[in-house]
Amino acid sequence: MKAKLLATALTFVALTGCGPGVDIDAVAAAAAAKVGEPAPPFTLVDSTGQTRSLADFTGKTVVLEWTNHGCPFVKKHYGAENMQAQQRAATADGVVWLTINSSAPGQQGHVDGAGAERVRSDAKAAQTAYLLDPQGTTGRAYGAITTPHMYVIDPDGVLRYAGAIDSIPSADPADIAKATQYVPQALAELAAGKPVSVAVTRPYGCSVKYAN
Amino acid sequence: MRAAERRSRDFAAQFLYEFNPRAAGYVGCTNGGYADDVHLRFSDRDRSVFLNLSYAWQPEPDPMIRPLVLLILLTALLAPATCGAGSPPVQTDHLRSRLVAEATAAVPGSRLTLGLLLEHDPHWHTYWRNPGDSGLPTELDLTLPDGIKAEPIAWPHPQRFELADIVNFGYGERRLLPVSIMIPADYAAPSLPVRAAARWLICEVECIPGKAEYVFELPVAPTADVDSRWADDFAAARADLPRAAAATLAVADATDAITLTLSGLDAAAAPAQWQWFPETPEVVANSAQPQWQRTDAGWQARWRKSEYFTALPAEVALVAVDGDGTATRFAAVTAADAAATAATPLPGAAVETLSLLPALLFAFIGGLVLNLMPCVFPVLSIKAMGALASADDRAELRRHGGWYTLGVIATFLLLAGVLLALRAGGEQLGWGFQLQEPRFVAGVALLLFAMALSFSGVWEFGGRLAGAGQRLTEGHGARASFFTGALAVVVASPCTAPFMGTALGWALAQPPAAALAVFAALGLGLAAPMLLLGIVPALARALPRPGPWMDGFRQLLAFPLYLTVVWLLWVYGEQTSPLGMAWLLAALTALAFALWLLGRRPAMRSPRLRAGAAVVAAAALVLALALPLSAPTPAAAGARSMSDANAEPWSEQRLAELRAAGRPVLVNMTAAWCITCLANERIALSTDTVREALAAHDVAYLKGDWTRHDEAITRYLERYGRNGVPLYVLYPPGGGAPRVLPQLLTADGVAEAIRSM
Repeated sequence: MKAKLLATALTFVALTGCGPGVDIDAVAAAAAAKVGEPAPPFTLVDSTGQTRSLADFTGKTVVLEWTNHGCPFVKKHYGAENMQAQQRAATADGVVWLTINSSAPGQQGHVDGAGAERVRSDAKAAQTAYLLDPQGTTGRAYGAITTPHMYVIDPDGVLRYAGAIDSIPSADPADIAKATQYVPQALAELAAGKPVSVAVTRPYGCSVKYAN
Repeated sequence: MRAAERRSRDFAAQFLYEFNPRAAGYVGCTNGGYADDVHLRFSDRDRSVFLNLSYAWQPEPDPMIRPLVLLILLTALLAPATCGAGSPPVQTDHLRSRLVAEATAAVPGSRLTLGLLLEHDPHWHTYWRNPGDSGLPTELDLTLPDGIKAEPIAWPHPQRFELADIVNFGYGERRLLPVSIMIPADYAAPSLPVRAAARWLICEVECIPGKAEYVFELPVAPTADVDSRWADDFAAARADLPRAAAATLAVADATDAITLTLSGLDAAAAPAQWQWFPETPEVVANSAQPQWQRTDAGWQARWRKSEYFTALPAEVALVAVDGDGTATRFAAVTAADAAATAATPLPGAAVETLSLLPALLFAFIGGLVLNLMPCVFPVLSIKAMGALASADDRAELRRHGGWYTLGVIATFLLLAGVLLALRAGGEQLGWGFQLQEPRFVAGVALLLFAMALSFSGVWEFGGRLAGAGQRLTEGHGARASFFTGALAVVVASPCTAPFMGTALGWALAQPPAAALAVFAALGLGLAAPMLLLGIVPALARALPRPGPWMDGFRQLLAFPLYLTVVWLLWVYGEQTSPLGMAWLLAALTALAFALWLLGRRPAMRSPRLRAGAAVVAAAALVLALALPLSAPTPAAAGARSMSDANAEPWSEQRLAELRAAGRPVLVNMTAAWCITCLANERIALSTDTVREALAAHDVAYLKGDWTRHDEAITRYLERYGRNGVPLYVLYPPGGGAPRVLPQLLTADGVAEAIRSM
């Protein structure tokens, strides 16, 4: 009886000692990713089972695209072929485009390798690789809070752009043509050796479905 | 009852919207109809009458016969049809929405509040104007007949939603977003058609974008009742609307956080316990709350910056909700706004960039220029008299100049000291505060009148009368020079010259030593001509030699003084009432009588007469002083100086409303005792050029009257780094950064500023 009480008390203390499941500020404030600083390294398995690391792509410009195929905002850009066109144009110029899925198991958009391949072929996507981050560690390291959320890393591994895919936050595909597409703009400026004119923007989209 | 316009009559669509497996059928009629699930036409005459036929099985206990017993239940369902039936809502994913009107009819010449009523499914929410880390604010576009403009949504304060690491602000359950429209008085049509399109994002964990269109027609009538169906919703929305704050908020960029300073809060207020929402996005982090501490500046807090912070925008607004659910909106205009206005740097625009030396220089120049101002000129005449009287003796001139300068500086320091002490005690005072008090105005008027009478020869100032020679030595002593200096300051204070606004605004925000130094520099500038007269021999030699002509000159100089008294009488009348002005006139007459008696006394031969005269003179003096001091309490402050027909009285609320509606605004802060303000109005603001420019660009003209003490105006002045009037601020259309105009206006300058907005 006493032991049980003691165990309960200890458990209680232990539970209160650990705060709520996820630190509210963890993603945003503690995120190691800041524009102008080296991008956080990561190693993830992609949809074909191959292991990929950021270090594999040193010397190349890398674009990171957070995705969730169930999100209306991702559907807006894929449905209008905007994302695929940007992927094609970038990869044709030697840029590495990595799509990352940080949806936790059981949450909207979560896929395994096979599911991811299906999503890719249905959309006729043209990214270099589709990486799976079900634990959300890479998402948190970068401070990814929406889908889509775009990052551009230069060949020296420094983060040069972080933020929205374009300048009009909406779910209406008609707004794509009227908006400034930030990723192609940043890529063109980097290729020309110019500083990125718009380096940080507030991203819009559905929240990334991390585990609660 | 006017006949409604024919709309589609469609039974079939309604048939499908209620599914009951036991229903044999629905029969009914409706005056409204559904075209599809998002497009909805309805008029206020909609009516639905339905008949529900249903059946039920009743098995017979006798196994031989099992008749089917049809129980026909006639359920006549009269859809809620109040007189002028309601508008069916639009059902979209997890949301029922409809556009409603607060009143049952539109009244020309009045404001009508519409509302987007949102009924969310449990746990689902839509977003506030700043949605937070993700999400999109609800948008409503109204299409109205010509001449009617819709104001932007008046957002009630939101709730906080947290999902994992992401913080959003929005609304759930049943909420109404009010939108007001202004119906012109000459609106002639029999009904008011309203078309609206709304877009939103509704989320629980996942998000679904939604949209709907509404077409609505309200009858036009001379009066209207409140529509009881939505009265509660409108009341709830209004209760949640943030009120304009009585306190001031200041924000500053502090590397990794934004520092907030709240001043002017009630003693009982506890901002640390309120829930704070950032209305301006991308300034502070949505997931953090500010940590408040009480300091001598008020309340201060640090709020972590947003990840997307680049620079402080022109205006930073926060909404705070206290324990009772009352929301208050705090808005801070940052220094970035003041400095980022026009390409030409305006004096008085950027306060932060000033430091002690430039401030001292500005103050000195301001003091010099002050000598030319209309309110200083009469006192200049007294000065001049004193100067000419001692023109022969250079040492005397120097002494006179020195004592005069000392008097000026000492009085400025005294006034500044009093002002600083009062401000430290929490009073919202600005420069010119002394003239906001009618008793002070009366006192100065009496004093100047006495001096003018002395110049006119009614009595002798200083009490000495021993022949023409001694008259010339009047105003000669150190004490007289000192007093003249003091008087100059008292009379000069309402006139703000260019440069003075900047220096004084900066000075009052500095530690006392720096502030007093600036005021001393101002005094030096004011006294400089007299001082120069004493120091530079050439100038002294340029003065005319004293002679009999000085008598006439002295009497001539009385008249500018009389004019100043007239002006002060007018200010007093503005501050109190015509009756008050009459009382002051009576007081001045009593004073004149007393002084005349005193002047006559030495010539009286009979001692009894002299004693009697002294008593009567004393009584009259007491009367003269007592009358304005015991004046009936002044009438309501300020509203009377609105001589402009096109000017609206200024209020924070009205300014915020106009700015939220995207209209350009010209704010004119003036006071009856401020000659520069009145001159600007005469020369620039009341001219046709400016009036036309205002009308052409639909600029709202707000006039703030600071003739009497007004805390709201004092705080507004402080926001632009000023503590005196005049202040002219031009807000461009669409809510851009405001521009502070110079203190001396020209008609063309103002028109140009308006045109280039």
